[in-house]
Amino acid sequence: MSLKQTFSEKLFNVFNYTFFILLGFSTLLPFINLIAKSLSSESAVISGKVNLLPVGFQMGTYRYVLENDMFLNALKTSVLLAIVGTAVGLFVTTITAYPLSRVQLRGRKWLLLMFIFTMLFSGGLIPTYLLMQELGLINKLPVLFLPAAINVFNMLIIKNYFEGLPDGLEESAKIDGASNVRILFSIILPLSLPVLATIALFFAVAFWNDYFTAMIYITDQDLKPLQLFLKELLVSSSGEFLKDNVDAALNTTPQSIQAASILLATLPILFVYPFLQKYFVKGVLLGSVKG
Amino acid sequence: MRKNSVLALIAAFTLTLAACSGGGNNAPSSSPSPSASANSEASATPDAGNDGGEKPELTMLMQYGLFDPNQDPVSKFITEATGYPIKYEMLPAENADEKLNLMVANKQNFDLMKLGAAQFYKLATEGALEPLDELIEQLGPNIKAAIKDDSWGSAMIDGKIYAIPETGSGISVGEELVVRQDWMDELGLQHPTNPDELYEVLKAIKEAKNIVPLTGTKDSIYGDIATAFGVVNEWNDIDGKLVHKAELPEMKQFLAYMNKLYSEGLLDSEMPINTSAKAIEKFSSGNAAMYKLAWWSASSAEAALKQNFPEAKIGIIPYLKSSNGEAKVGVNLATTWFIAVPKVSKLKEDAIKLIDAKLEKDTFKGLAIGQEGVHHELKDGKYYPILPKFNDDLTNASVFMTGVDEHNYPTYWQARVRKDPVLQSYYEAFQANAANTTIVVDPMSTAPPIDAVSRNKQKLTKLLDDQVLMYIAGSESIDNYDTFLAKWKAEGGEEYVKAANDWYQSTKQ
Repeated sequence: MSLKQTFSEKLFNVFNYTFFILLGFSTLLPFINLIAKSLSSESAVISGKVNLLPVGFQMGTYRYVLENDMFLNALKTSVLLAIVGTAVGLFVTTITAYPLSRVQLRGRKWLLLMFIFTMLFSGGLIPTYLLMQELGLINKLPVLFLPAAINVFNMLIIKNYFEGLPDGLEESAKIDGASNVRILFSIILPLSLPVLATIALFFAVAFWNDYFTAMIYITDQDLKPLQLFLKELLVSSSGEFLKDNVDAALNTTPQSIQAASILLATLPILFVYPFLQKYFVKGVLLGSVKG
Repeated sequence: MRKNSVLALIAAFTLTLAACSGGGNNAPSSSPSPSASANSEASATPDAGNDGGEKPELTMLMQYGLFDPNQDPVSKFITEATGYPIKYEMLPAENADEKLNLMVANKQNFDLMKLGAAQFYKLATEGALEPLDELIEQLGPNIKAAIKDDSWGSAMIDGKIYAIPETGSGISVGEELVVRQDWMDELGLQHPTNPDELYEVLKAIKEAKNIVPLTGTKDSIYGDIATAFGVVNEWNDIDGKLVHKAELPEMKQFLAYMNKLYSEGLLDSEMPINTSAKAIEKFSSGNAAMYKLAWWSASSAEAALKQNFPEAKIGIIPYLKSSNGEAKVGVNLATTWFIAVPKVSKLKEDAIKLIDAKLEKDTFKGLAIGQEGVHHELKDGKYYPILPKFNDDLTNASVFMTGVDEHNYPTYWQARVRKDPVLQSYYEAFQANAANTTIVVDPMSTAPPIDAVSRNKQKLTKLLDDQVLMYIAGSESIDNYDTFLAKWKAEGGEEYVKAANDWYQSTKQ
């Protein structure tokens, strides 16, 4: 910048920076409040004294949550679900996207339409439930990821990315005698890491955050993922649930423990972001350009 | 004919189970007879309380609780005491009704279901539940001994029993107005004894402390103050007729009073959106001086108050008297849970046998308060829990119950209150105060499920509650109450009241 900034420009910049720093900071406030609550004594939390700093510091809440079998069990289910679900989802979505991205596929347009149709219309909750029951999937882990393994939206992003790769690559591989499967795994996929990382993140976050599927299909306490556990922890301490139920009211979960549970349930997926961040923006953009 | 096939099924199931399970850790320790005899024994003596033979695994659906029922010490105790291995499944904490409908519509197999009143009524009238009269007659001597005649009515539809009713802890009151006693002393104020005095006290506190003195939650509109005006229970017996609280002429006076508190800044304007945690927060942070405390949250409320104001004291205001000098407390004794056997169950007899075994006197005592000397001790005729063992093993016991020994449970149950001296002191103070008043039991408590009542109750309650908040907040004039009442009646209130009265009159003949 060779031009000298005028005073008003400087003032504007100062104001701008302050404003956006504050705005950015404000998005962190709920987290800070949650951390403070989880580290405070219960009576301080109840009396509303805790804002951004802990009052009556203690760490017992974290020990309690981390020693709680239900929490650990739910964490195990969620981690397993995120890993297996992402792997299955990514695999199935990719091998669907690849053929659909090739112009030589006959009836490609119709096939695509059929996929897009499912984006707009679904069978509805009860028929889907019936289907899962007929398939014997109720109260089984696969019910949490199999129905969601193909996400048409993700599939289209991958397909568009594949279409953006130069045709020459494939042709030369063919001349060298590579089969279609070989081309996909040795040529196309290594070139598609950004989009695959992005979609993997989409899948992982979606599986991690999903409580609804589990709420519908899972009644077995051992198979409930973390988010459902968390939801039930919070709901079972709320007024609506406790109304007319003295025995439940006697056993409510302290708010500081609720805060610690929320935090511990959010952190793991938060740590995945930085590792995939570098692919993230690039991946979504690249895939969408040709769409 | 049908019975035989059921028996054959049971026998077949027992055999497969015996064959498969081998050394399963759920196997009862007290079943010495070899599994080979299970077949002949089960088909030969269907009604006798045969302890021999492997018992089939039952599946029970229970209401939500924040624990793993299959790992809970209580579930192990039940299996040891009754011999039945049981698999527990829970409804979700939210949208429980939808989930239940989904499972029942899809004929998911359960042998026992613990249902709320609305859930029970819906399933029973849809024909999803098995009538139990005969089974209880044949297999349920303990059930019959444990449950009082009054309670059965609540589980009967068209003269048939569709569930084992599970009542609560007997007559007890949950909430009472409490006040910052240190402020009262500082200002030289006496506990108010009626609404007029309450008004003066609130005004004095407001002037001295410059706060909105009375707070509360949406769910605590009624109670102390309303009762002093004569709005005692949801249903009230006036000259032998049932009158719903919406119809009471006293309702208008009550609302006018509350509106006065509201408009003069004596009643928290956020009351309609307060959660009970928020109300405690306001009280304990010194932003309110008075609110209706439930004894089960007394220890946390007191601890929070002491955290902020170590010198603070909580005073309990005796139940307010009405204009004729009489204090009343309304109590609802309605059955809380219904234990039903769905038609899809293949093990109906075993389901009833299990309930019966759980209600056997000593077994039930063990389920409620554990073993003497281990979980509880007896002092001056009162049961006290031994901590932490009582909490470790029995915290979730009530969720597992399938009917209670109504003669003894209220006594047992109080052990739960004595887990904590603060809790106990509030509980006992509230009960003692209530004993000084006339306790009025809601006459609809013992009513059976009535179609027009079940159909309208939820909708009408919401209609009334929403409207009442508008009157209190002054966004609607109380002069229009009669117009609202006409609307309330037109939207089902008329048939609601009539159906309730038809039943009530029939009980008097």
